[in-house]
Amino acid sequence: MNIQLETLGQTTLVMPQGRLDFGSAPVFQQRLEQLLAGGGTAPAALIIDCAGLDYVSSAGLRVFLLAARAAQRAGTAFAVCSLKPPVREVFDLSGFARIISVHADRDSAFAHLQPGRA
Amino acid sequence: MDHPSVSSRARTAGPSLSGTPSGQLSAPRATRSLRAAVRSVAELLLERPGPYARAFEQLILGLIVLSVVSVGVEALPGLPAGITRALRVGEILVVAVFSFEYLLRLIAAREKLKFVLSFAGLIDLLSIAPFYLGGFDARWLRTLRLLRLLRVLKLRTHILESSVAERTRELAEKNALLEQAQAQINAELGVARALQLAILPATFPARAGCESAARMIPATTMGGDFYDFIELPGGQIGLVMADVSGKGVPAAFFMAVARTNLRGVAPDYVNPGACLARTNTVLCSQNPLDLFVTVFYCMLDPATGALRYANGGHNPPYLRRADGSVEALSGAGGLVLGAMPDVEFPEHQIQLRDGDLLVLYTDGVTEAFNPADEAYGTERLIDEIRAHGAGTAAGLLERICHSVTVFAGAAPQSDDITLIALSWNRTAAGALQ
Repeated sequence: MNIQLETLGQTTLVMPQGRLDFGSAPVFQQRLEQLLAGGGTAPAALIIDCAGLDYVSSAGLRVFLLAARAAQRAGTAFAVCSLKPPVREVFDLSGFARIISVHADRDSAFAHLQPGRA
Repeated sequence: MDHPSVSSRARTAGPSLSGTPSGQLSAPRATRSLRAAVRSVAELLLERPGPYARAFEQLILGLIVLSVVSVGVEALPGLPAGITRALRVGEILVVAVFSFEYLLRLIAAREKLKFVLSFAGLIDLLSIAPFYLGGFDARWLRTLRLLRLLRVLKLRTHILESSVAERTRELAEKNALLEQAQAQINAELGVARALQLAILPATFPARAGCESAARMIPATTMGGDFYDFIELPGGQIGLVMADVSGKGVPAAFFMAVARTNLRGVAPDYVNPGACLARTNTVLCSQNPLDLFVTVFYCMLDPATGALRYANGGHNPPYLRRADGSVEALSGAGGLVLGAMPDVEFPEHQIQLRDGDLLVLYTDGVTEAFNPADEAYGTERLIDEIRAHGAGTAAGLLERICHSVTVFAGAAPQSDDITLIALSWNRTAAGALQ
């Protein structure tokens, strides 16, 4: 799995590509843990842009849950955006769409995280 | 079969391999132990890499250079008698050491003649022979000792090679140990897997009007799928279909915890939603690895066909009506269990009709991939359910498993494939009452 990073002001964008399953989940998890580690280095906001994500298994879903919790601990605003239909379906089915902030695209995710700048 | 070996032993004992009569063992034993001692000295100085071999090699190198230089010095005209004598003594010492070394090598060699006739053996001999033959001026022959440098360098390569060979052997031994450990782990995982599968119920509780079948095709790695049939108060039956996130031993443990909790909680709750909420709270407090489990739980009253259900993030089951239509039990679901405490699980109720067939499954079915990386998907599953018509529950599971297996082809099965089918027949259920 390829994971791209982009920083826009105080916000870090994480863009995973390909399949997020049992095999690739640990890599993605480690990356997010690094970004959301304590010690004041965590960004003010973190958005996972899933435009390049084709598939998410239950093991992959767990990484989103862990990231949401780590963000909460680090005081980082957290959102997910641009889910492809199969991934969106997994989020809806599992109920994750109700406990994680999910947005149609980047702009609405930004608007949600930084209402002042929208 | 014993006879030939006994007689051959008797034959070898008779003439004695070493030609030693049994009465005179002491002298040869002494020779043998002396030879063993010399051989071990030879090994220490010549073969085994270490400080002794290195020091001996340095000594030989030094003597070679010294003796070749002395040949040059001896050739100088008008040397003082003292120096000539010193050179002579030096030559004797050099030859003594070289002779000692030659004998050592000869003793250490497994094939003596081969050593003597080898290039190295001939050079060694040539470097000392002129001294013993004495009579003719063999000074130029002594310069051949330079060739011995080659021999020492070659020896160094040999020592290097033997230490590489030793490392290789150590590695191979470690590898074998690792493989052994891996085999043991695999065997233990196999046992754990068998135990995990064994706690799944083999049969549905006998109820008039109900015909049920369950099927699980485990993935190669330990998975976390499970299903359950739970006998509830009032003759009701609880049906569970669940899938733990992730794989391996953690998922298997969490599966056992989830199954045990749900099974323990279920008889105390008359509502499936409340039952899942309670199970969720318990799981959240026993979840150090932040795993979660999707659970579809329904309670069937076999007497009336009333089916109440709640869904914790699981794939909605399908209901094939007696008229041939297929619908999903897609009423709003709740969150997966174990992710967050104090969540509610909406409850739904439907009425089964005579001849209806309920199909519960895990995503191992719909997310079975083929070599082209396409998922089996819900459409194919619905098609199979529809095509099965009014056939038996067991027949339907057979059909779906076959269809998934054919679809996946050579692609490896990455997830457990788990299914329950339950048909309900009002006339049979009513006839009993």
